[in-house]
Amino acid sequence: MIATAIILTGIGSYAMRAVFIFALARYAFPPLLLRALEYVAPTVMAALVISMLTTPEGELAAGPPEILGLVCAAFAAKTTSNHIFALIAGMGTFWLIGAII
Amino acid sequence: MNTAPTRHALRGSLDALPLFIPALPFAFVFGVVVAEAGIPEWLGWSSSPIIFGGAIQVTLFTLIGEGASVAAAVSAALIVGARHMFYSVTLAPRFQHQPGWFRWVGAYVLIDQVFVLSQIKRIDDPVAFRRYFLSAGFTFWTLWMISTALGVVLGPAIPTEWGVEFAAPVLFVSLMMAASERQDKLAAAAMAMGVTYLLASLPNRAGILIAVIVSVCVILLATRKQPT
Repeated sequence: MIATAIILTGIGSYAMRAVFIFALARYAFPPLLLRALEYVAPTVMAALVISMLTTPEGELAAGPPEILGLVCAAFAAKTTSNHIFALIAGMGTFWLIGAII
Repeated sequence: MNTAPTRHALRGSLDALPLFIPALPFAFVFGVVVAEAGIPEWLGWSSSPIIFGGAIQVTLFTLIGEGASVAAAVSAALIVGARHMFYSVTLAPRFQHQPGWFRWVGAYVLIDQVFVLSQIKRIDDPVAFRRYFLSAGFTFWTLWMISTALGVVLGPAIPTEWGVEFAAPVLFVSLMMAASERQDKLAAAAMAMGVTYLLASLPNRAGILIAVIVSVCVILLATRKQPT
């Protein structure tokens, strides 16, 4: 039963990744669609961040340490374009504010 | 001809490494979920090569552990992973210039971090793009295989009171900023955050999908009135 669930999920998740790569392999993308696709990466990342900080009931599970940590990480990412620096800034702020409060 | 693609392969691996940092504590969360669901270690770990998607794997085994039916657990896991269809559409134009075998293999390693890297780097040469993508993808893949194996064997080895799992939203904020090099993209991202928050109570994180579609449509309408 568990093996069946793993295999079905594996087939499904591969199909979701492959579907449009194959279905649109010869499709001439109109300019408006190409413009729309430019926003996929920033919007999915943004949505993922919020989904990680909310409970399944829809409550925000983030206090000052989390919010300030994310602001510092965003600032570090913008100024240094380096994900390691952003991680250090974000986690450092999160731990520091958490220790103070 | 030969040196540039090799450089891109190395670059892909190096770019993938820091993005793996938050996946490491998550691999131990995965190990705990497998243990709590009462699933044999090897069977739980087999989902890493078969599914290759941390959130999808954790959702599946959490629901199985709670006694859900196969149909319910699989469909919930697939809704969690449905955002990969956005990645598939977005990369379809780039994959048009690629050989058939790469479409099969590339789709297998198309995860959040590999997708964003391919969007941030914007490599035009098809050979360089392919090497970069595969190298980043399989670096991540190898590390995920090793760390989930450690996760199921060691279980709760990383203490949760440190809050190391907070590294995941921190990294994704950093990726969001890297992918938002223009003001309009940042505005779309901010909108997606707001809509996701409003829809956070929807089951299986379905709010993510709606938030992306809504904010992309709104930003297209907004930027049409004032072309830059």
